Amino acid sequence: MWKLLKNDFIIEKSNKKNIFACIAIALFVLGFFSYQKIENSQELIDQKAGEYQSVASALTKFQNVDAMDYGNGSDLYYNLLQQQRYVVNQSMALKIGRPQLYLDTGIKLAELRASAFDLEGYEKVATNLPSKTQNHLDAILYQFMVKAGILVSQDTLSFYPFLLSLFMMLGSFWFIFISVFSCGILIEEFRHTSLIKGYPVSFDKYVLAKSSSAMLFVLIFIAELFICSLPFIYFYGVGDPNYPIAIFDGSFKVATTLEYIGIALLYMVFIAIFTILLSVILNVLLKNMYLTLFVQLLLFIAPSLFPALVSLIPFNPFNYMNFANLLNGISLELARPVELEAVHGLIYFGISIVLMLVVVKLFFTTGKLKRV
Amino acid sequence: MLELKNIGVNFSGRDILKEVSITFHPGEIIGLVAPNGTGKSTLMNVIMNYLRPNSGKVLFNNELEYTSKKNEVKIHQLVSMMPDQSDLYNHLSGKQHLKIYSSMWNSNPELIERTIEDLGMASYVNKKTGTYSLGMRQRLCFAMQIVSDTQIMLMDEVMNGLDPTQVEIISQILVKKKAEGKTIIIASHLLENLEKYANRIFFVKNGKLDLIEDIYKDLGINGNLVIRVKEGTPELKEKLSQDFPELNIQLLSNSVTLIDFPKDDDGKLERISAFLSDHHEQEFSVGKMTLVDLYSKYYH
Amino acid sequence: MRAYFKFELIHFMTNKKNIAIYVILLFFACFYAIKIAPSFDPIEKVDKDEIEARFLTREDFLNNVVLDENTYPLTRFAAAIYPEWNEYDKQRLDALEQNDMKKYAESTFKWYEYSDSMIFRNGKGLLYYNPRYYTAGNLYATEDGHYAYMYSASRYKGYSEGNSDLSINVFEERTALQTLQRMLHGYLPLILLVSCILFTSDIVLKDKRNPTLIKGFPLSIWRRLLVKGGVALIGSILTIIPLLVGFIIIAIQSGVGDFQLPVPIFSYETRAFTSISMGSYLFQNALLILFWFLLLISMLLLVSIILRNEFANLVVGCIVVFAEFYYYVRGLGFVKDIQWYPSSYVQVGQILSGYREYLNNSTTLTLEYGLLVMSGYTVICLLITFIICNQRWFKLL
Repeated sequence: MWKLLKNDFIIEKSNKKNIFACIAIALFVLGFFSYQKIENSQELIDQKAGEYQSVASALTKFQNVDAMDYGNGSDLYYNLLQQQRYVVNQSMALKIGRPQLYLDTGIKLAELRASAFDLEGYEKVATNLPSKTQNHLDAILYQFMVKAGILVSQDTLSFYPFLLSLFMMLGSFWFIFISVFSCGILIEEFRHTSLIKGYPVSFDKYVLAKSSSAMLFVLIFIAELFICSLPFIYFYGVGDPNYPIAIFDGSFKVATTLEYIGIALLYMVFIAIFTILLSVILNVLLKNMYLTLFVQLLLFIAPSLFPALVSLIPFNPFNYMNFANLLNGISLELARPVELEAVHGLIYFGISIVLMLVVVKLFFTTGKLKRV
Repeated sequence: MLELKNIGVNFSGRDILKEVSITFHPGEIIGLVAPNGTGKSTLMNVIMNYLRPNSGKVLFNNELEYTSKKNEVKIHQLVSMMPDQSDLYNHLSGKQHLKIYSSMWNSNPELIERTIEDLGMASYVNKKTGTYSLGMRQRLCFAMQIVSDTQIMLMDEVMNGLDPTQVEIISQILVKKKAEGKTIIIASHLLENLEKYANRIFFVKNGKLDLIEDIYKDLGINGNLVIRVKEGTPELKEKLSQDFPELNIQLLSNSVTLIDFPKDDDGKLERISAFLSDHHEQEFSVGKMTLVDLYSKYYH
Repeated sequence: MRAYFKFELIHFMTNKKNIAIYVILLFFACFYAIKIAPSFDPIEKVDKDEIEARFLTREDFLNNVVLDENTYPLTRFAAAIYPEWNEYDKQRLDALEQNDMKKYAESTFKWYEYSDSMIFRNGKGLLYYNPRYYTAGNLYATEDGHYAYMYSASRYKGYSEGNSDLSINVFEERTALQTLQRMLHGYLPLILLVSCILFTSDIVLKDKRNPTLIKGFPLSIWRRLLVKGGVALIGSILTIIPLLVGFIIIAIQSGVGDFQLPVPIFSYETRAFTSISMGSYLFQNALLILFWFLLLISMLLLVSIILRNEFANLVVGCIVVFAEFYYYVRGLGFVKDIQWYPSSYVQVGQILSGYREYLNNSTTLTLEYGLLVMSGYTVICLLITFIICNQRWFKLL
């Protein structure tokens, strides 16, 4: 088996596709960095300005639609007024450099918002305000930071914060990238069947060797992500690996940047193994790399097109493919909210991988190698 | 008319073809014979310009050379090379392949039906080539080239995988094409078959093309008959040499022992045959040296 | 050459990948038409209750306000601007009562114009556009609102002055043609361009699998590439057919719309809207998308003969189409010459309607520039391809 792996790696090493993938990843990191540089120089301050406007416009709904007198406004109205005040305070706190005030006001703001959800008439202003999930995440983040004495930081370009945003962005793309990368696996074998049919190695072992070789390249890509980000240490510093970020993992909690990256890495590895095996099986069935790619992409989009699927089939690994959204608790905001836990995702991936390995072992005989 | 002028091809220091100059005329079938890897396919690739020679040039009809892409297209109207059977489209039928080739070279569409009939392909030509056996695929590739109807045709191992009947059919078609004035260059290992219809046969050795008549001459076998002992041994050769020191005896790599038939026949033939039967060599024949023997002798 | 064209076309149409692309497009077109389009919720609606509520509140205020030396300045301000505002709202309500669409269009046009000037220029910070623009996290809500109100004003002006059949579906932009216009403003051009990339990615490199069959064809490399490009172009244009099915479904549900309907076009130079007909708008879109196809195809042909890898084709194609998402930031066009990058013209509908100019503060992201840049790059790609093909040493396979 090792010999197979080594042989395959030697063949694949000079495959143009792998070289391009390496280049593409380097470009992606570079491009993402310039995007971050442009986008996020003043992120928090701008965000607060935007929030102010949103709340203000929510207020106007009341004056126009409800036609209520000033003295007798609804609870929601007063709640929104107070929110407005806190937003202004937060904005000031940032501008004059008082991070502690920012956090304290933030906690009060989050509490206000939490109580607003239950007030009458909230649906009318729902789009102007952060969602329940988002608010909850903000709340526990602020509370944690106050308790731990961490100051809010606006620096997004040093090593750890950059990695954090990189991996958050990768959540959406990782599966697509691995799909495109692995959709051609075993296709060449089908074109040179006489070469392979006679190998004194069972086909399932051969398939596993090929998959492992592909996985090795994926690990190289992941390493490349880190390596390409290293130069930024020189320019912007290392940053704080323990800076907190709020995530939803079955329950709301706060993770450090390092922990988030760790979860992301774990997911990326599992997703890669899953996708490679899926490509193998689909290629045996469909014998066309583009059809394999399309099927994988359609399976990926399906939970977004048909949100009902998420609650109907909770063990569908594709619900967990976009791990950035997963950790952001997007699933709670669906029409039929579902609590998706990160650990469950890994378990479902694990089960699917085992299932696919069983399929490979049982059903892949050389009989499948008919000429394309 | 196809003319090669001083063609030289060199791969990493080794001369595959060295100063090959030759002319091929219309209505001619040329056979190229050589062990594998000595330059048969290289020569064909040079003629098709799939490979550029290090020196020399290829001249068509005294006017066209591979000097520009435009000329290359014009030349490819006149020369075609038989496709490899592994490159057939498995999801298309044989007939579709024939139609493609016919339309690309703008040849007479009636040729398609005639070729199908001549080759006896009617029963399977409408099925997908993915279902064909090796022989069927090979015949289809041959048919495709016939249907393209180019002036000059290059065929590399056309008889691969064909049974004796099919070999015969194809040979007949080749003769027919020769009569139509085509130039056909065939690389083949079926030497006896080649002899039947080829005008000229070349052995390729050390980068050079040698006409077999010239080889015969150089080896002094001109017109001579030989006694051919099928299963000769070195001991037999020893004994023969002792008894008949004036005779030229060779033991070839295929265990055939050739005894040059003496020019002045003075009963030697009887003495030799007596000698051979004494030594239990019953199988021997008298005749002209075959191409197969010449091959073994030339390439030992 | 005709024989080769037929050969390539048949291979293109029977290629499983291409058939799959058409099927997937059909699926998405139907999915959109059946599920998404009917639930389209425009921000600017024909909503009698909303108009009435606002009208009544303000009328109430105007009737009860007392203006003397002690009046708070803002109250005075309100008393000054509300009367005209209410006049327009009243006209709108009356028109709705009488079902007079033309009158509604006219009064609504005036209402939008007035509202926008009040909110954007005069009432800064006090008055707001429709609250739905101020979504959580949107930093540019005011700009969005301003654009939308100007856009609506121009639209309704066109309705009142034109001859088309007016209806609520037309006002809320639900008809098939208007939905098409909205989609062109959104993701439809991207989908078409990605389909084109997918069609073209293997059209040169598939010959690697059957070399000895194809090498000898008496056709020059350049001609072969032209034929392949032509087939890819035809294939890309044929994507209209599955999308047409979606179009028809929407037309059945909400009407076809009219080719004479006005489409507002924004020009950064004058900071104002003008109107062109739906027909010419769609034509311009088709033209720009066609030029995009030509650019993508010629670029991928070049990449195919240089890098000779299908994966590389996909990556390069996607970079050109999606690069804009990387460098786009509002207002960038003012600072950098992004009009020379072809990827700035990806959002075709937005380019043509001037929205991209608005976003980028640039006067040059127009159809003319777009066509110029596209054709420029296309010619360059084709030229390089031509030169490479005709080199003596160059082999396609």
